[in-house]
Amino acid sequence: MAQFDFSIVTTGEFRGWLVSGFLLSLRLTCITWILSLPIATAIALCRLSSVAMLRGAGAVFVEGIRNIPLLVHLLFWYFAMPELLPETARTWLYDHGAESICAVIALTFYTSSYMAEDIRSGIRAVPATQLEAARALGFGYLASMRRVVLPQAVRIVVPPLISQTLNLWKNTSITTVIGTAELMYQAQRVETASFRGVETFGVTTLAYLSVSLVITALALWFHHRFPVRAT
Amino acid sequence: MRSTSHLVIAYAFLWIAVAPLARADQLADIKHKGELVCGVLATDEPMSFVDPQTRTIIGYEVDLCKAVARKIGVTATLKQVAVAARIPELQQGRVDILGATLTHTREREAVIAFSLTTFVTGQKVMVRRDSGITTPAQLAGKKVVTVRGGTQEPNIRKAVPTVDVVTFETAPQALVALQQHKAAGFVNDEVSLFDAYSKLGPAQKDYVILPQNISTEVVALGLRKDEPALKAAVDGALRDLETSGEAEKLFFKWFGPGTRLQYQTRAFHIDSDRLAN
Amino acid sequence: MIDLLKTYGLYFLVGQFPQGPLGGLALTILLGLAALLLALPLGILLALARLSRRRLLRWPVTAVIYVVRGTPLLMVIFWAYFFLPVLTGQKTGQVTTMLAALVLFNGAYLAEVVRAGIQGIPRGQTEAARSLGLGYALTLRRIVLPQALRNMLPSLVNQFVTTLKETSLGYIIGLQEVAFIASQVNSQVLVHPVAVYGTLALTFFALCFGLSRVAYALEKRLARRPLELPVLLS
Repeated sequence: MAQFDFSIVTTGEFRGWLVSGFLLSLRLTCITWILSLPIATAIALCRLSSVAMLRGAGAVFVEGIRNIPLLVHLLFWYFAMPELLPETARTWLYDHGAESICAVIALTFYTSSYMAEDIRSGIRAVPATQLEAARALGFGYLASMRRVVLPQAVRIVVPPLISQTLNLWKNTSITTVIGTAELMYQAQRVETASFRGVETFGVTTLAYLSVSLVITALALWFHHRFPVRAT
Repeated sequence: MRSTSHLVIAYAFLWIAVAPLARADQLADIKHKGELVCGVLATDEPMSFVDPQTRTIIGYEVDLCKAVARKIGVTATLKQVAVAARIPELQQGRVDILGATLTHTREREAVIAFSLTTFVTGQKVMVRRDSGITTPAQLAGKKVVTVRGGTQEPNIRKAVPTVDVVTFETAPQALVALQQHKAAGFVNDEVSLFDAYSKLGPAQKDYVILPQNISTEVVALGLRKDEPALKAAVDGALRDLETSGEAEKLFFKWFGPGTRLQYQTRAFHIDSDRLAN
Repeated sequence: MIDLLKTYGLYFLVGQFPQGPLGGLALTILLGLAALLLALPLGILLALARLSRRRLLRWPVTAVIYVVRGTPLLMVIFWAYFFLPVLTGQKTGQVTTMLAALVLFNGAYLAEVVRAGIQGIPRGQTEAARSLGLGYALTLRRIVLPQALRNMLPSLVNQFVTTLKETSLGYIIGLQEVAFIASQVNSQVLVHPVAVYGTLALTFFALCFGLSRVAYALEKRLARRPLELPVLLS
């Protein structure tokens, strides 16, 4: 077994590559998260609505997206979808970092469909009497949701959402297939240039684990601090 | 159920009882196995690619591998490898030899060995005609695409330090990106570029391959280090092909006037594994 | 579109077989199935370790599970790629690498599913078995696990769906599964990316949605039939 020399990846040019990849992975995660949450809530409410067409649309959205792997979503949004855009939109897209934009679009659709299901389960876990009472008091559907049901659903919904955030963080690694220069992409680049697989992937794994453990710790803390109350 | 415990034991055996192979001479191993496992890209026409009709892998390097195997006295087994995975696959022993458009560089000599040079080409850039780019230097600040894990990215960065490079898993994938206007240029060795260009058909008028080389690529078969017997056998086989004229025939079969590439002459001989500089 | 299917349909379905290794949709399904079948015993072992009373067993296994679940699957694939030949002394191919990575990754996830399944069996079952003189292993094998696995069946089918989707990551190590082949077809055809990638998406959808419906039907059926009393003597 050759000697392991970690300084190759912790100093100099290669470190710069890995750090820039790590920062982009974080940016992708944050932007996707911020975009996914409102979309997911809207889809969840659609699926719980009394309007059959909204329910159907929500179901189609969720089932259609969840049953297709993220890799295929990425390939589709980057290689197929832009061809359908008009010329000006397409040129604008390509001049402004298409790889990252398409990555965020694919990740947002994918993550929001999973989050929608978790939010829906959370809302359903709130006793129906809460909604009925709110409606009886004269609140409209949306107002009841906003003021009575959703706040109670939050406590139930947060743990699965944190777990989806963990999945999102790990899923950013797949965006390497459309050339997004995030951590996994940079790790492959460093490995090719340095011939040092173990050191490169060791450091990269630690980078991914560091954020994963923070997210997991957050979940455990939340569970400890805000346990789900029996009603 | 007794059969369950038998199943468990058999299962355990499956996982444990694989003895590490004794460290023997690789050439002897190959002869013993009766097969030479050749790592090929299968996505790089005409070096190695999949014929859609027959769904087999064919190409210049495929033929070279088969000829080398024949001379050693074994059969050639082809195995597709990704560009970025070529060297690890060879080092891990998953393939015996690499015929994967592998450039012979000094950096790589530290980790693997090379056979006699089998092909000499240059790396060039293919651009869209309407971009008005006529030299690689004009790519400064612009975006180019290429395949991941090869010498293309370092070479274009050396030639044009401010260029923005995006890499993809396979060269055809990068070409799709160029055609979709996602980048100003596509970097690859000139053979692959000529091949891609010829496949464009009527769209050829929209593209031009810049004549300047950003580097010279000396392509050879890749071998594991410290296997002198295998290297001698492979080099011997290649020399035989050269002296018998078969090597030249193979060149013209895949690159000659009757093909899309239309090279009129062969500018090299298969006789040396020394690097120029 | 029809021409596309006619020319490349067979390649999409089975890859280069028989002129080469099996690929395409056939490889995706077989790889997913093999991965799940091998991951299940691993998941059971890990779950039992996590439920064990011995700290020496519980803590390392819990740590390993957290590490595997905190790492992207792609990373696990690259590790399998580098370490598998060293570990087994065997030269491993892409399919084996992918299989090993999937088994490890899904084993860690299944450990949680199995643990929940085992903990969902009423304590009365275990107590009755122990009071009848059955040892730990026998209780597990004859009483707890059969019931747990039966209840877990819908979750297992859902995990199969997830595994099928995960095989698509083989694309990145050049495995000739269905997404890789679709991309190769696209690079040859060039002018119909929406048709090619759309077909790929629809294929996965049909496969995964169909299977998740099976899981749903299973769940309904299991809820209807009452728990059968386990047979101790057979």
